Amino acid sequence: MKTINTEVLVIGGGATGAGVLRDLAMRGFKATLVEKRDLSHGTTGRYHGLLHSGCRYVIKDPQAARECYEENRVLRKIMPHCIEDTGGFFVSTPWDDPAYIPQFIAGCHRAGIPIEEISPQQMLKEEPLLNPDISRCFRVPDASADSFMASEANVLSAIEYGAQALTYHEVTRLLLCPEKPGKPGGKVTGAICYDLERDEDIAIHADLVVNASGAWAGKIAALAGLVVQIRPGKGTMIAINHRIVNTVVNRCKMPADGDIIVPAHTVAVIGTTDEQVADPDRIAIEPWEIELMLSEGEKMIPGIRQMRLLRAWAGVRPLYQETETSASRNISRAYVLLDHEERDGVGGLITITSGKWTTYRRMAEATVDKVCQKLGVQRSCRTHQESLPQVEHEVASRIIAEGKRTKAPAPKFLTLGRRLEQIEEKKDFNGIVCECELATYEEIERAILKGNARTLDDIRRDTRLGKGPCQGGFCTLRAVGILHHLRQPPVEQINAALHDFLNERWKGVRPILWGQQLRQERLDELIYRVVLNARALPGSEGTRLRAQDYEPPRSTRERPVPSQREATQPLKGSGTSQPDRFSASTTKIELQATECDVVVLGAGLAGLMAAWRAALGGKTVKVISKGRSALYWGSGCIDVYGNAPAESRQVSKGLLSALLEKLPGNPDHPYVKAGIGTLEDAVIALRELSLQSGYPLRGSLEKNWLLPTALGTVRPTCLAPELMTAGEITERKPLLIVGFQGFMDFYPELIAANLRAQKISAQSLTLSLPLLLETRNLNALFLARRFDDPEFRQALIQELKSHLLKTKQLHPDLRIGFPAVIGFHEPYAAWESLQDGLGCRIFEIPGLPPSLPGIRLHQMLVKAIEAAGGSIFDGMQVVEAQTAQRKVNTVWSEAAARLVSHKAQYYVLATGGILGGGLTAAPNGRIDENIFHLPVHVPISSPGWFQPAFLHPSGHAVFRSGILTDAAFQPIDSKGQIIYENLFAAGSALAGIDPLLEFSQDGIALTTGYLVGERLAKL
Amino acid sequence: MKRVAHPVELSLDQCIKCNICTTGCPVAAVTDLFPGPKYEAPQAGRFRALGRQVVDLSVDYCSGCRVCNMICPTGVKIAEINARARAGMVKDGRFPLRRRLRNNLIARADLIGKLGQPIHQVTNFILNFKTSRLLAEYALEIHHEAPLPKLADSKFTTWFRHHQPSGNPGRKVAYFHGCSTQYYEPRVGRAAVRVLEALGCEVIIPKQNCCGLPLLSNGEFAAARRYHASNVRSLVELARQGIPIVGTSTSCTLTLKEEAPELLDMWDEDTQLVARMVFDFNEFLLSDLFPALKRYPLKSIPLQLGYHIPCQYRAHRLGKPGLEVLKLVPDLQVVDSQADCCGIAGTYGYKKEKYDIAMQVGQPLFDFAKQIQAPAVICDSETCRWQITHATGLPAVHPVEILAAAMGFEPEVPLAALLNKV
Repeated sequence: MKTINTEVLVIGGGATGAGVLRDLAMRGFKATLVEKRDLSHGTTGRYHGLLHSGCRYVIKDPQAARECYEENRVLRKIMPHCIEDTGGFFVSTPWDDPAYIPQFIAGCHRAGIPIEEISPQQMLKEEPLLNPDISRCFRVPDASADSFMASEANVLSAIEYGAQALTYHEVTRLLLCPEKPGKPGGKVTGAICYDLERDEDIAIHADLVVNASGAWAGKIAALAGLVVQIRPGKGTMIAINHRIVNTVVNRCKMPADGDIIVPAHTVAVIGTTDEQVADPDRIAIEPWEIELMLSEGEKMIPGIRQMRLLRAWAGVRPLYQETETSASRNISRAYVLLDHEERDGVGGLITITSGKWTTYRRMAEATVDKVCQKLGVQRSCRTHQESLPQVEHEVASRIIAEGKRTKAPAPKFLTLGRRLEQIEEKKDFNGIVCECELATYEEIERAILKGNARTLDDIRRDTRLGKGPCQGGFCTLRAVGILHHLRQPPVEQINAALHDFLNERWKGVRPILWGQQLRQERLDELIYRVVLNARALPGSEGTRLRAQDYEPPRSTRERPVPSQREATQPLKGSGTSQPDRFSASTTKIELQATECDVVVLGAGLAGLMAAWRAALGGKTVKVISKGRSALYWGSGCIDVYGNAPAESRQVSKGLLSALLEKLPGNPDHPYVKAGIGTLEDAVIALRELSLQSGYPLRGSLEKNWLLPTALGTVRPTCLAPELMTAGEITERKPLLIVGFQGFMDFYPELIAANLRAQKISAQSLTLSLPLLLETRNLNALFLARRFDDPEFRQALIQELKSHLLKTKQLHPDLRIGFPAVIGFHEPYAAWESLQDGLGCRIFEIPGLPPSLPGIRLHQMLVKAIEAAGGSIFDGMQVVEAQTAQRKVNTVWSEAAARLVSHKAQYYVLATGGILGGGLTAAPNGRIDENIFHLPVHVPISSPGWFQPAFLHPSGHAVFRSGILTDAAFQPIDSKGQIIYENLFAAGSALAGIDPLLEFSQDGIALTTGYLVGERLAKL
Repeated sequence: MKRVAHPVELSLDQCIKCNICTTGCPVAAVTDLFPGPKYEAPQAGRFRALGRQVVDLSVDYCSGCRVCNMICPTGVKIAEINARARAGMVKDGRFPLRRRLRNNLIARADLIGKLGQPIHQVTNFILNFKTSRLLAEYALEIHHEAPLPKLADSKFTTWFRHHQPSGNPGRKVAYFHGCSTQYYEPRVGRAAVRVLEALGCEVIIPKQNCCGLPLLSNGEFAAARRYHASNVRSLVELARQGIPIVGTSTSCTLTLKEEAPELLDMWDEDTQLVARMVFDFNEFLLSDLFPALKRYPLKSIPLQLGYHIPCQYRAHRLGKPGLEVLKLVPDLQVVDSQADCCGIAGTYGYKKEKYDIAMQVGQPLFDFAKQIQAPAVICDSETCRWQITHATGLPAVHPVEILAAAMGFEPEVPLAALLNKV
C-alpha cells in the first residue's frame, strides 16, 4: 500500500478544510488534505452563495452576526475575486411584521453592522422586479460569493506553501494506536483512504488529524469510536434561469424558509428550507419544498412562479448539538471546535464543525491555533492579511513555476459581465464550449490539465460548464470531445463520463421540470437519444466517480395546485396581478381576401406534409407557425422505426418486418391507426419529392440504414440523404472521420475511437485550414457556406489529398466522413464535386443543432408547398381559437398590438408535443394543449413522470402524453366523440408512444401528416 | 397600471438554445463581427445588468430586422433585447462619442427635413455632392455612398392643405404621414389620401412628429420617449373617438403599434389605446375598407414587377397584406422576392462601419431584382426603396401608388414613366 507521511492530515475539502490547509501551510506545517470527492462537493458547493453581512442573525444569534460581519470585511480584502459586491436589501413585505424592524435596526447597530434605509422608490429603481408593495428597505453589506473559486484559491495558496491536496480519496479507516477505540489513552495516528480513481488504498500517517468533514464529521469521528452528534439540516434551493435581481434580497423578519434570493453569477438562487435528515448522503428534494420556495418567493418577486426555473439542489448544514432540540434552525450557527483528547481521551484528533461559510477562515484560524497548541508550537495566523491567489491560469502557474510570489495584478471584485467583456474585448467568438455560461476552451483545458478535474462535474465546478439554461445539452458533447482529446483515456471511460454528467444534470432538473425547462430537456433528449444515440455507447453507463443521485421524495402527495390568491393573508393589503393579456379591448383584425380551404397550425414535418398533400390536391392552403420546427434540430433523416428494445442497446436493420411484428399489440400507435400502407405511401411520396428537388433521400421500408453519429455510435434510419449513405456501417470498407481545427461541434478522434471499440475500422483527422482559422466565429453555418464555395472545396481537396497520399490511405474504397456541413445552398453539388475531386466516397454526419440536413428538408417541403400554390408564414403564434357548435370558426394569431384571424374550412393542428410547443406541462401535473384546449391524455400522474437516469431505457412517461384521435386523426373526447368536425391533428402532439424512444418521430409525423393532407385533398 | 415584470428581458427565459435564430440572421450570414442572435440576446442577456453595462459592441451590429423573432419557436424577443442592450450601453456612456454624435444626427430625419426642406435645392446638393459626402464620411462616419434621399420640392402637408377632397366623405380616418412622406416622398402620401377619399373616407392629418424609430434603433431612448409621448398626446383623442390612424410607412406604424411602447416600457392606457388604433395602410384596406375596395372598378396595370416585403413589415405579423392588395389589381404580375432584408435597416446601412455589411445582406434581393428583369420593385418601406434603387438602379414604388393608378388617379414619377411606356 502506498504511504504518505505528513504532520497534519485534514479530512474534508470544503471551505473549512481548504481554509485549514492554507493556514497550516502558511504557518509552516507539512499538511495533506483528503476529500472523498471533489473540492466543494459537500455543503460548500451547495449553499446559497451568500457572503453574509450578519444582519440575518442580529436578533436570533448576535454572536454569529458579529462574527459574520467581521469576516465579511476580511474576505472582501483577501479574496475580492471570489466575491461579487452586490450589496443586499432587507425588505419588509406586506407579510412581514413591522414590529420586527426597530429590533432589527437596534440589533444591527449593536453588532456594529452598517445599514442604510432607502425609500421603496429607490429600491424599485435599482430592482424593478421587487414587490411594489414593499414598505421599507434597508441596504446592508451582503455580497454574493463563489465558494468553488474560494476553495480552489485556498488550496492553491496552500500548495504554494508546500501542502498537498488529494481529491477522490475517501477515508475508510482511522489509524488508532493502540487499537482500542473509545478507551482513554488511545491516539489517532492517521487514516487509510480509498483512492476512487485508481481503485487502491493509501495510508497517511500524521501527527495530528483534523476532522473538517462538515456534515460528515459524525461519521468520521465514529471511525475512532467517538460520538460527535451532528444533526444534518437539509436545505433545498432553486436557481432561476437568470439574474432577476442583482442585489441580495432578504425578508426583514425572523429567519425562516425561502426568505432570501441571492444573485449568483448568471442565476438567482431562492432558498432555503431546513429539514433534519439522518444521513447527509441520503437526501431528497421534496415537492413541498419547491412549492414553499415559490410561494415565499412570490412575496418578494411577484410573478416568480411563471419564471423559468433552472435547477434545484439540496445541501446539508453541519449542525452540531450536545443536547436535544426541536428544530434544527434553532441550533446556534456558531462553529464548534472539539479537542477529542480533552473531551474523549483520544489524542491526535480534533473536529471542527458547524459554522457558516462566511466565517470559514475564522474557523480555520481557531482550528490551526488549536493544532499549534497540541503540537507545542507558537505560530501566528496570517490568513487574514495575505491575499488569496487568483485561480486564473497565467497568474497561478506563474507563481507555482517560479516558486515565489510575483506581482500579480490587483484582484478586483467579480462582475456579472466579466466573461462577456473578455470575449467582446478580444472580438473573438471562437472556442466557446459552454455557450450558456460563456466557458471557453482555454478554461476547460486549464481545468482538465492544470486543475483537479477528474469528471465533467469537476469541470463544471471549476468553469460553470453546463450550469446554464440547456443544462449541458450542447456542451456535454463538446466537453467529452475535449476531454478525450486532451487525456486520451480508453474511450469507454469517456463514454461513461458522458453518462455520468448527463445524469448529474438530470438529477437537479427533475424536481422543477415543467414549462420551458421540460421543453429544453426534451430537446436535449432528442440530441442525445436520437441524433447521437448515446445509449449505444460502448462501455458502462457510469463510473465510480459519478455523482450521487437524490433519494426519491418521501412525500407521495402530488404537487399542490398553485392558487391564485395566497393561502395566508398578508398583513397589509396587497393587490399585484398581471394584466390580462388578451382582454376585451384587444383589437381583432380580419383581413379579407385571405381566407382559404385549409389552415395548418405548425410547420414541422407533420404540418408541412399535410399542407403539401392538401395543396397538391387543389386546396388553398396556408401554414402558420410561431417559428421554425424540430426539423432544424434532428438528423435530417426520416426515422421510421428503430426497434430498440428496452433491454438491449442494439439497433436493428430489419424494419418493416419489425413494425408488422410489434405494432398490432398497440392499437393506438399512429402507424396502426394510419395503416402500414399509408406509411409506405408517405415514404414513397417524400422520396419522389426529394428526387425531383435534386436532394435525393435514399432508403425504403425494407431495412434501416445504420449510420455513424457524431459520438461514434450507430443509429438506425429509414430514409437518409444520399449525402449520408456512404457511411453505412455494415459496409466493411475503411472510414476516415475528418474534422476541422477550431470547430467545436465535431470530434473526429472520439468518433473514430468509439467506432473502433465496436470493431468498425475507422481513422480520424483534424484539418487546419487557414481560411477557417481566420474567422472570428467558426460554427456550422459558417462552414456550410464555405463548402458552397468552389475555391474552399479546392483548398480542402488539396489539403486532404496530400495527407491521404502521405499516409497511403487514398483508395477508392475509402469513405470520408465530415460533419453535416457540406453546403448550405447547394449541398448536392458540393458533395458531388468533393467526391470527384477526392476520388472516393464522402458522407455527412449530423450532430448538434442547427441541423443543415434538417434545414434542407424544411426548404424542400416549403418549396413544394409554394409550388403547389400554398403559403407559409413564420412568426404567427396562434393564441386563440373561436369555435361554435363543434366547429372551428377561425383561429387568432398574435400580431403587433392586435390579433389576426385566419379563417378556413378545415384546420390541422400540427403544433407538436412538448418539444414542438403544442403541449405545455404545468407544475401541478397538468398538460395543456395550448390552442384549442383539447383534452390531453396523460398516462401517469406527475410523481411518475421521470425516471432517475436521463437516457433510461423505458424513457420518461410524461412524453407519452398527447391528444387522442380517432382513426381519421380527428381529436376526440373521453367518450370517443369528435370534438370539432373540421379539426384534424397530426404529428408529435398525438398520444400513446414516446417517438424518441423508438426512433419513430419522423415517420409518425410523415405518416399522419400525409394521411391528413390526402384526406383534406379529397374533401 | 404598473407592470411588474418586463416582458422583453424576461422573454430570454424562453430560449432553449436551439440555434434556429442564428440560421436565419442575415447579418451573421455575412459578417463575423456579429456572432448571431442567440449569442447577443438570450445568451449575452444573462450577463448584462441594469446600470452595469458591459462594453458589448457586437450587439450594435444587430440591424433590428427581426427575422430572428419571426423564426424563434419559443418566443424570445431577440431584436428587442438587443435594442435595449444597446440603449443600456448608450445610457452608461459606453459608446464612443463620435459614433453617438453621428447616430443622433442621422436619427433625426425630421430635423434634417424641417431645416433642409425650405432650402431643398441647396440641401440636396450638399447631401449628394461627392466632396461633402467624403467629408461627412471622414468626420462623421456616414458612408459616402449610402443612399441619402433627396428632399422634395414641397412638403406633403403643404399639398394636403391646398388639395380638394374628392368623393363623398364618410368616416373619418387620420393619416400618419411620417418623415419620409412629409419631406422626401410626398407622392406616397398623395396616393394614400386619394385612395382613402375615393373609398369614402374623410382624411384628417393630425398634429404629429417623427415616430422616433431611428432614435430607438440607435439606443437613444430618452429622446425616443419624448417623441413617442408627444405623438401619443396628439393622437389619443382621435383614438378615443374610434378614429383609425392609418400609415403608409410600415416602420412608423410598427413603432406606434409596438416598438415604442415595448422598448420604452410605456404601458399607460393612452399609449396602449393609440397602439390599438394604428393601422398599416394595406391592413386597413383589407379589413375596414374591403367592402368599398371590392366594389371599386380597378383599371388594368399590365406590368410585371417585383415585390419585397420590408423586414419591419413582416414584424407586424400580418402576413403579406401588400401582396394581397396588389393581387386585386387586374393584369398586374407580382413576383415575391423571398428575400429577408434589403440591408439598409433604417439608419444601419448609412454607417461607415456597416455599409458593406448592409450591401451584402441585401445582395440576394438585388440579385432577384436583376434576375426577374422587371422595370421596378414594389416595396412598402421608404428606406428599403432607396436602398433598392441605390443597389440596382431600378425605381421603387409603394403599393399604394399602384393602387391609386389602378383606381384612375394620375401616377407620379417614377411610376408614371413605367405606365407611359406601356
